[in-house]
Amino acid sequence: MIRNCFVRLALITGWFLLVQVGLAAQSRMPQLKYTDRSLPNGLRILSAPDRSSPTVAIQVWYHVGSKDDPQDRSGFAHLFEHIMFKSTKNMKSEMMDRLTEDVGGFNNAFTADDVTVYYEVVPSNYLETLIWAEADRLSGLNVDDSNFKSERDVVKEEYRQSILAPPYGRFEYLLQQKSFLVHPYKRPTIGSIEDLDAASLKDVQDFHNTYYRPDNATLVVVGDFDPKELDAWVDKYFGPITRPDKPLPRVQVKEPARKGESRVTEYGRNDLPAVGLTYLAPRQADPDSDALRVADAILSAGESSRLYHTLVYEQQLAAEADANAEVREDVSLFVLTAVLSQGKKPEDAERSLLAEIKKMQDSPVSAAELEKAKNQIITEQLQLRETSNGKALALGEAAVLLGDPARVNTDLARLQAVTAADVQRVMKKYLTDSNRLVLYYLPEASRKTGNNRPEETAF
Amino acid sequence: MNRMSIVFTRVTVFIGLVALLAFPFAARSQTPQATPPPPASPRSVEFPRPVEQTLANGLRVIVIERSDTPLVSAQLLIKNGGEIDPPELPGLADMTANLLTKGTQSRDATQIAEAIEALGGALESGARWDASNVTVGVMSAKLGPALEILADVVRRPTFSKEEVERLRQQYLDNLTLALGEPGSIARFVAARVVFGDTPYGHPIAGTTESLARISRDDIAKMHSRFYRPDNAILVIGGDISAKDGFTLATRYFGDWQKPSVAMPAVSAAVDAAAATKPGRVVVIDKPDAGQAAVFLARIGISRKDADYFRGIVANSVLSGYSGRLNQEIRIKRGLSYGAASTLDARRDIGPFVASAQTKNESGAQVADLLLSEINRLASAPPADPELTPRKAVLIGNFSRSLETGGGLVTQVASLALYGLSLDEINHYINNVQAIGAADVQKFAGKHLDAKTSNIIVVGNAKVFLPELERRYPNVEVIKVSDMDLNSALLRKKQPTK
Repeated sequence: MIRNCFVRLALITGWFLLVQVGLAAQSRMPQLKYTDRSLPNGLRILSAPDRSSPTVAIQVWYHVGSKDDPQDRSGFAHLFEHIMFKSTKNMKSEMMDRLTEDVGGFNNAFTADDVTVYYEVVPSNYLETLIWAEADRLSGLNVDDSNFKSERDVVKEEYRQSILAPPYGRFEYLLQQKSFLVHPYKRPTIGSIEDLDAASLKDVQDFHNTYYRPDNATLVVVGDFDPKELDAWVDKYFGPITRPDKPLPRVQVKEPARKGESRVTEYGRNDLPAVGLTYLAPRQADPDSDALRVADAILSAGESSRLYHTLVYEQQLAAEADANAEVREDVSLFVLTAVLSQGKKPEDAERSLLAEIKKMQDSPVSAAELEKAKNQIITEQLQLRETSNGKALALGEAAVLLGDPARVNTDLARLQAVTAADVQRVMKKYLTDSNRLVLYYLPEASRKTGNNRPEETAF
Repeated sequence: MNRMSIVFTRVTVFIGLVALLAFPFAARSQTPQATPPPPASPRSVEFPRPVEQTLANGLRVIVIERSDTPLVSAQLLIKNGGEIDPPELPGLADMTANLLTKGTQSRDATQIAEAIEALGGALESGARWDASNVTVGVMSAKLGPALEILADVVRRPTFSKEEVERLRQQYLDNLTLALGEPGSIARFVAARVVFGDTPYGHPIAGTTESLARISRDDIAKMHSRFYRPDNAILVIGGDISAKDGFTLATRYFGDWQKPSVAMPAVSAAVDAAAATKPGRVVVIDKPDAGQAAVFLARIGISRKDADYFRGIVANSVLSGYSGRLNQEIRIKRGLSYGAASTLDARRDIGPFVASAQTKNESGAQVADLLLSEINRLASAPPADPELTPRKAVLIGNFSRSLETGGGLVTQVASLALYGLSLDEINHYINNVQAIGAADVQKFAGKHLDAKTSNIIVVGNAKVFLPELERRYPNVEVIKVSDMDLNSALLRKKQPTK
């Protein structure tokens, strides 16, 4: 699930498969039965018992992400996520590791544009301990300067390892950065070295005070537990935490519609050129997201997908070709990328990507292709839900990002309802010429002097 | 395809200091107690028991029944992989395995992908060290059609010229990508430094030169010599009964003919002298590297070594989030996003590798830390409060790896490959628990001597070389443009004038 420190919530092309008939597939999709309750202080708790193995997954979803990074502090929400593993009132640094890793469990956390999620999987007899620990770090941090600085150095190394060391790390960074004009999504989650250097302990305190409050948190527990015991522990440890009076700040900035194609050329330490196209797409909760997700699968899931078949297999233009319905809470991106084969031109890859888009706009996809895509997406979900942690991720995403935990079950029905006409309609509606950004990412060695100068960047 | 946008995590892959000036944060309120509540009593675990049968043609079939999700995974292993590549043809075994799914006597590459993906799944094939495999995952009701395709690609691949050329170009492109990354260069170089020109020494997916040399005939020959039922294992796991599993295996693999010629002899492998040679310090100078990759690499143990469980516990003391390497390099000093080690036990003696990526400026410091941690492990036994949690980590990771059908099949297939008892999955926890602190120290002293360990640093050498040379007198520097992965020399021969 984790590679080069990028987590993608859904795995690439599920390799477990379902039946050919979509409705049959849906009927085999086990429904996730959960309980939904809230404390008076605003904390929401979603829980689903499953006693098949003696472990339990605990997650806390905070509705704050890198779009909420303070001014001139890009990367702060993510840095803060790391700091949450340092001292709290009652825990010394890395005590979370003592309570999880040391007893045969594990912990991790991730920061995305819209959310920050902390999670643990432990032997189920440690559930009460972890409920206590999560409540403790929601209550307050107690970090000293040397711990803060050494963890900030870790995050700077994470930046180097994910953006500077891999040949296309900066390409992905630039794709996001260049795709938004005004929305804070234009600041990629990892931030910049300069802004990380500027961050202080005061920022940590302010950020915790502003966003880490019970009415901005959702606790998800899935696995081996007794519901009555869980309720009692949650009441005991989270109940006394007070809800601040101040309203929660929310990003209000609206990204304007694009009014014409824009083109950017950048240079890097890659040997093979890469091309990216991005289109603004509706927010994640929008009904059109389902059809865009199906379009994504038709374009890029597996070796019979359109992009692989055409660009990689038939034309041998690209070493890799991909499409992503990259959903976000406020405004999404539909992204197509190709890393070229040796000796091929970026113009040719761009032309082929555009031709594949046009094909899907000009005629509906076949029934078999549509069915295949739906089976692949549902399969991916089934695979995700093989583990308690995966079930909790699906539940948290539905509640926090889609605004309704019931969507953990109903979205699969919505997906089944997508028609070939829907796919054609969204391709025409969103993948228009005037809604396109084109990024060429070329080898430094190919830079011509005097022209094609890239605009200034953070590097 | 993926759903959520790019996210950053606390740690990848695996999963207190003196306060000079505490910065007290006003907690908004207090949790009612200052110490964590103690754990309740634990529940015990039991894993499924694999059952097996050998077909008349020699194919070993293993079925593991577990029916909590309507999914089945299947894996067909050939008991040889990259180690059988001829010295001049690195990449041959991997290309051969990869080409299986690119055309059979009855289906071309596109038809194979369409057939399996229409069922909702994917067919993956490739070679690793000691084995080549083809895997598939399906809903249990669809296992039959999926196994039919699996058998077809293993038994009747055509290796068309066109597909060979296409794959060759893809391998060259992937190699170009890998050679742009300090971490993957360090892995290639470490293998050559540890194993020289012996069978585990080359890049498993080939070199620029070897990929150009591999012919269709080489591929077809490798397939006919090694892909035979008496050199194969089929493992099926998930929502399937043993009886149904054996019936399907017989239906699709029962008439696979065993060749009359004996299996070719495979020479093993590692140069025994490697254990006593003084370690080298090799720098690959890549001036545009955005970070330095620092590796400590040496020979380790084979999978059947009696010291195996001592070894994995010793490695767990070093590796993992709270292992000593990450404690010293990341947690205490902020020098890396993560430091870890791997004891890769193979049929023959495999490598031990400890590594971290760091800013170029701290390349020498990280090399020093890796070496001193290896030394420390051999010089004193870990205290029990350290050892007990590190064993818990191993047990937890192992148990979680068996949670998914695919994970269960992978673990059992590995036991089968190395001729170990399949019921070892049910003894693993006791085997780990039995290891004591003295075992760990003894293992490190016997198998992880720092003096015979090698250091490899790939990065912008001018930044870290002066300090590295101060610490180690024997540094060898190779410019990335002069690097040659085709032999243990690692350096292109200078053209003679």
